[in-house]
Amino acid sequence: MNDKFFQTLEEGRKLISSAPCEYADIRLSLSEGTGISLSKDNIESVSSSDSVGGSVRILKNGAWGFSTFNDIGNLEKYFKAALRSAMMVNPAEKSLAAAGQGRRASFKTASIRPAESVTLDEKFELINSYNKILMGSEKIQTTRAIYRDVKTYYVYLNSEGSDLSFDKSYCGISLASVAKSGSLVQPFHESLSGYGGFELVEGKENAAENVLKTSLDLLDAESLPGGKYDVILDPKLCGVFIHEAFGHLSEADFVHENPRMRDIMKIGRDFGPEILNVYDEGDRPELSGYIPFDDEGMEPSSTALIKNGILSGRLHSRETAYKMNEEPTGNARAIGVMRQPIVRMTNTYIENGKSSKDEIFDAVDDGIYAVDVIGGQTNLEMFTFTAGYGYMVKNGKTGRMFKDIILSGNVFNTLKNIKMIGNDKKMFGGLGGCGKGGQSPLPVSFGGPHMLVSDVLIGGK
Amino acid sequence: MKNILFSAVPKDAAWFDAVYITGRSTPISFKNNRIYSVNESENSGFGVRVNMDGKTGFSSTNDPSGVADTVRRAAATAPYGEVEKFKIPGGTVKGFDPHDSSIDLFDPKEEIAAAELFIRKIESAFPSINVDMSVSASAGSFRLINSQGVDLEYIDSLYSVSVSCSYVVKDGDKIDTWESVSALKPIDYNYLSDILINRIARGINREKLASGTYPVILPPSAAARFLGIIASGLNGQALWKGISPLAGKMGEKVFSDSLSLIDDPRIEGSPYTAPFDGEGINPSRRALINKGVVEGFIADLKYAERLGIDPTGNAARGYSSLPSPSFNGITMDPGSMSFNEIVKGIELGIVAEQFIGLGQSNTLNGDFSANLDLAFLVENGEIKGRLKDCMISGNVYDLMKGNIILSREMERKGSSLLPYICLDGVSFTA
Repeated sequence: MNDKFFQTLEEGRKLISSAPCEYADIRLSLSEGTGISLSKDNIESVSSSDSVGGSVRILKNGAWGFSTFNDIGNLEKYFKAALRSAMMVNPAEKSLAAAGQGRRASFKTASIRPAESVTLDEKFELINSYNKILMGSEKIQTTRAIYRDVKTYYVYLNSEGSDLSFDKSYCGISLASVAKSGSLVQPFHESLSGYGGFELVEGKENAAENVLKTSLDLLDAESLPGGKYDVILDPKLCGVFIHEAFGHLSEADFVHENPRMRDIMKIGRDFGPEILNVYDEGDRPELSGYIPFDDEGMEPSSTALIKNGILSGRLHSRETAYKMNEEPTGNARAIGVMRQPIVRMTNTYIENGKSSKDEIFDAVDDGIYAVDVIGGQTNLEMFTFTAGYGYMVKNGKTGRMFKDIILSGNVFNTLKNIKMIGNDKKMFGGLGGCGKGGQSPLPVSFGGPHMLVSDVLIGGK
Repeated sequence: MKNILFSAVPKDAAWFDAVYITGRSTPISFKNNRIYSVNESENSGFGVRVNMDGKTGFSSTNDPSGVADTVRRAAATAPYGEVEKFKIPGGTVKGFDPHDSSIDLFDPKEEIAAAELFIRKIESAFPSINVDMSVSASAGSFRLINSQGVDLEYIDSLYSVSVSCSYVVKDGDKIDTWESVSALKPIDYNYLSDILINRIARGINREKLASGTYPVILPPSAAARFLGIIASGLNGQALWKGISPLAGKMGEKVFSDSLSLIDDPRIEGSPYTAPFDGEGINPSRRALINKGVVEGFIADLKYAERLGIDPTGNAARGYSSLPSPSFNGITMDPGSMSFNEIVKGIELGIVAEQFIGLGQSNTLNGDFSANLDLAFLVENGEIKGRLKDCMISGNVYDLMKGNIILSREMERKGSSLLPYICLDGVSFTA
């Protein structure tokens, strides 16, 4: 297989150097991985699989042609298919892409214990030991403990002369306990993952114990009545908040050809209080959303989305940057080589403010402390984000535990309601990821410090 | 491939089954009201289960030359599996191909021209609107081979169109809405433009409603999402694990008399049908809930054996994963009132089309809490303007016990065929 892959790569270099078009790129990948899934006393699956894939994308006369395939021995055929597809279209308004500089570089994930050097026995024993922790109470009805590693060799070539490769290793676990009492079924879940080796998932007994304890505690938690609340977000929920509330709106493909959205998203617009600073940084190798180059061969960057409350940047592909006459940011990403890159986030966070966690709690007489994350969703204007659980806060002290905290906001009001930002930022990843345009899950990370937001709508009776 | 497969399986294997799936598609995408790209996609993959001494291993590849290695890898992971007692079938029959040869008439140039006209029509109603669209034709094959002598292949086809509109009313006040169709062959989708235009026009005017409990009408696509929460409780896997609220409720009346839910593998016009499931079981129509009484559930071979029932023909299977129980097509017995009659009977209520965050609550328990992405006020029997920046919440199991009304109109969305459903007493927070 490797021989064929490298032969194809050579053929790709030849094809792309003489491509009769404005721009072309070829992406190829070769990957293999192991998966183990346990559920209480049962072994759901143990598998080891491989996959190969490629795509050709061609911009000719302002139209994109794209072909995808797994039969990599036939690259020339698919190259012609992409060209033929592009020529089928004669667009009134042409697509154009910002030029990049041809780059040649190789990148490799730094692993302390590469997953391929660890036996299946050891992987099985590790996830089995976490699963036993997750089962640690008679009230646990079922569990799910998943281990996964994937090693991918990814190559990117384009007609500007770029020849890039990323030998990447991703490793992660997902841990869930489902507690039951009477007819009430109460799950809780955590996932840890990132670029690296087996070391990323070793020694995570605390995470499993926390999942077990939280699912049991939630059996006795009450549902929060619906209404508007002052809410302290923990760093993880703060990260999902900014990902949903603002991150997606920063993706320029929602804006670049929509005159009304361009008006709304003018650089310099006031979106939040002066203490609010938001960044997206693709160039952080230690985080789940790391990319050494994006799926259009551009270098990642640190992009300030909001500086001192003011809209100061956005995320671009080559095409959106060209259309908006702004600098590319290296945010064109695809979940795999068989999908077209679209504008996506990488590692997105709210930067530390000046308040300590204690100062934030002291400022709340009557509110909610919302902790951990189930998920979030946005339509760019309105968004929801769901906490794992939360606590009543009275006069700065936490009290009763609550479950079912689904928070909802509107980007034009909720960011302005940010009252205090802490100084204890943390970043989070996980085996899940972000979804957009039918492409999910894309590895991203998100984070921030503790943060106080007033007047947040929470659904409930 | 068959020969490579049979010769690579260890002689002492108890059984094996393998799937080989191929697909070819031509998706055309339109972004921001114009043609964006034409794609050609070809893919195939092979997945195999090998059972050694009662334990099953699994592996997959999409490298056409990698079949033998993949079989050996599957056998090598088998010792890590658990003992499974189910038997794979031998008597599978292929009654039909979910395929229409008219799919070959798909002409990208004609489709582009038709889609451009369609977009122009929506634009003529709202000149500043942004329309994204995808028009796609695909055809493929599914082959199942097992050690019981099954070697069957069916071919399938799918034509699908999805349209998504985004309209900024004024500074940031935005309406996003979408529609889609799917069929075995190219069909006329022009009727969608009026549906979208009317929905957006209605959404421009804003209404207010005080927090409280109200009747909520769910159009068929929204109803599918709520029924999906209940259906997941009728999945054999959830029942066996004891995490479904319906575990142990077989034969009990749990829901309203009006609620009858059916898993139907042959919904009229649906392209999402198959003559046999991923393990070679021929599916049949199955009553899940009959007049409020829990009557049936679905399972693959593994969970059918564990639950002590006959396999139901509900094993969903891609090449890169093990089979798992999945519904073939959800449908209901329709009601007697029309949608308009249901609306006329409501003094103050909501028509809820689209949600943000639905499914991020404790859905195992039936809970939901979601922002109303697109919803309309019903006042004195008439549908009014849009309700926005608000949420609905509740428990689907509780609401389906109560007073529910189904319309006599039924619409197919994807693999389901459903009426409008009116739920009573839904919590609304604004």
